[in-house]
Amino acid sequence: MSSPKQQEEREVRGASRREFLKTAATGAAAVMGAPGAAQAFDFESFLQKNFRQMSDEEIDEVLDRLSRKYSKKYGKDVTVDAVGPMDDVVYGYGLDISRCIGCRRCVYACVEENNQSRDPEIQWIRVLEFEREAATRGIDMEDGNPYYDHETVPAEDKFYLPMACMHCEDSPCTNVCPTGATWSDPDGIVVIDYDWCIGCRYCMAACPYGARKFNWGEPNVSAEDINPDMHLLGNRPRSRGVVEKCSFCIQRVRKGRYPACLEACPVGARKFGNLLDPDSEIRYLLKHKRTFVLKSELKTNPKFFYFYG
Amino acid sequence: MASNSPDPEDYRPPGYQLVTWVILGLAVVVVFGLTSIRTDHQPDTSRDYPSRPQLPDVEPVLLPPPPMDDEYFPCSDCHEDEPPNPIERELEDEHDEMDFEHGTLWCLDCHDLNDREKLHLADDALVEFEDSWQLCTQCHGKKLADWRAGVHGKRTGHWRGPKEYRACVSCHNPHSPPFKPLAPEPPPLRPENITPNGNVRLEAAHE
Ligand code: HEC
Ligand code: HEC
Ligand code: HEC
Ligand code: HEC
Repeated sequence: MSSPKQQEEREVRGASRREFLKTAATGAAAVMGAPGAAQAFDFESFLQKNFRQMSDEEIDEVLDRLSRKYSKKYGKDVTVDAVGPMDDVVYGYGLDISRCIGCRRCVYACVEENNQSRDPEIQWIRVLEFEREAATRGIDMEDGNPYYDHETVPAEDKFYLPMACMHCEDSPCTNVCPTGATWSDPDGIVVIDYDWCIGCRYCMAACPYGARKFNWGEPNVSAEDINPDMHLLGNRPRSRGVVEKCSFCIQRVRKGRYPACLEACPVGARKFGNLLDPDSEIRYLLKHKRTFVLKSELKTNPKFFYFYG
Repeated sequence: MASNSPDPEDYRPPGYQLVTWVILGLAVVVVFGLTSIRTDHQPDTSRDYPSRPQLPDVEPVLLPPPPMDDEYFPCSDCHEDEPPNPIERELEDEHDEMDFEHGTLWCLDCHDLNDREKLHLADDALVEFEDSWQLCTQCHGKKLADWRAGVHGKRTGHWRGPKEYRACVSCHNPHSPPFKPLAPEPPPLRPENITPNGNVRLEAAHE
């Protein structure tokens, strides 16, 4: 990671309305050092209530405003919705590590589907490469290498472990958020309301899986690349100074579709479904396959399961 | 060129002080807002979303295998005149460039000796090429249940709603079944190639 000095610089320079809000909220009056606030100030989203406090009419208004705003910005028909959770559904994800070949198709399918910044580069999925013999000793994430680059994969004597948000049942990240900008919805998706994220990054420190990514710079997705099917709590454009992460493709799965990473996987290693449905793929693999979760000792209760197919 | 010690001035737009005061005023409003939500970190299960779709479950549809090389179709073009030869051997006059390694199998464990357009099962029942999964799962029975459940192989479409799944031969070449290696997509940037505000260092971009 970057040097402590760089980190410090980021913190000073990253001062924005979010930092400012944090200062204000803790009662400190010395706010003159928060000049970044002047950037492209959006009063409406500033005053917007937390998503969970809004009435249906208010939400509709916001969705309408954002759809119009992004349609104009990207010159195409953008719709932002806020489709809610289905009844009797809690999502679970399964990844077959005996199949994964480390091709990273999932990483880029995710970037495209979820409008992740191309430059600066943000990627929600990270694929770690491990020595095969290391698996016999148990997986230590610190030993994983995300930067591997081979002619073809799988490389000999290696195995691969893709990682993103685990959508923990007891999510440490949501507990530390000072503004309530991130929470776990009834279908188990841990969501972020970007309008309420102040960029304090407590959630990033709390997440044991490194799943949350911070927009140090202004994110950048071209009009050509933008995916116009957006969810308010998912793949709509983010701004500098907010945290983002995998949402299980909330804009797809709440309409019954599979996540983008799953469909991109050439070996069929990725499985997704309703944990409450005994006939689902995810329940089948929990019942019939050897499964594990990462860092189970932390009792975060991930809903992302790894299995041997 | 990107530099290591960025100039702290570059984020200050003109007139920032004025705006800062405006914001200070607004902040007072927001502080009230914040204190009212801070008490509540638990998921708000009571919240009524504008739309909660309830979709039906639908049986998955088997996609036909991708079309084969038409170089060898129809088989009868040659095999009509070619006397069938059941003897296990190295083929030399035709089909010799084919990668063939599947356990210790021989062509006629799968292909029918008398009807080249068909495959045959252990009990000699004939099977169309499109239904080759019936052949595969006769020997790989343990995969059948996993595949039907969507856990071996791949489904696409809707986890709830219309979905498709794929035949064995769309991932496995029956003549050389291990999944073939692929070129990986590019790795993520290394932290040393990223500037403090998250952009790519120019040197790295031109590598
Ligand atoms: C271009 C002509 C040609 C076509 C088309 C062709 N074959 Fe053949 N095939 C041959 C020849 C010639 C041999 C004998 C090769 C040898 O003995 O070295 C052969 C041998 C075989 C054998 C080995 C058993 C035997 O009877 O010799 C099988 C099995 C076979 N072919 C299957 C097929 C199938 C299935 C198709 C259609 C998908 C097909 N062939 C299409 C020319 C052809
Ligand atoms: C494990 C069963 C199996 C064995 C053994 C087998 N085949 Fe096939 N073969 C198939 C299936 C299934 C297809 C259809 C593949 C598809 O749908 O893509 C096929 C397709 C073919 C084709 C059509 C074109 C192509 O290459 O895909 C030819 C020719 C052929 N086989 C020849 C042979 C010959 C010659 C041998 C022996 C050297 C042989 N096969 C052994 C199962 C087998
Ligand atoms: C007549 C029996 C039989 C049929 C039919 C058959 N296989 Fe096999 N298959 C085998 C045997 C034997 C092996 C070798 C097992 C081993 O090496 O442990 C094997 C191995 C495999 C492997 C593992 C290859 C590896 O090296 O990892 C795959 C994948 C496979 N078969 C797929 C298929 C597919 C797809 C079909 C249908 C087109 C099929 N098989 C049809 C008997 C069969
Ligand atoms: C979406 C692609 C896909 C489909 C569809 C698929 N497989 Fe596989 N299969 C794989 C991959 C990837 C592996 C692991 C790598 C390998 O050995 O080829 C595998 C492995 C296997 C193996 C080796 C043993 C093991 O578990 O590693 C067998 C046998 C096999 N598959 C049989 C089948 C049969 C039979 C079908 C159809 C009923 C089928 N597969 C459908 C992708 C697929």
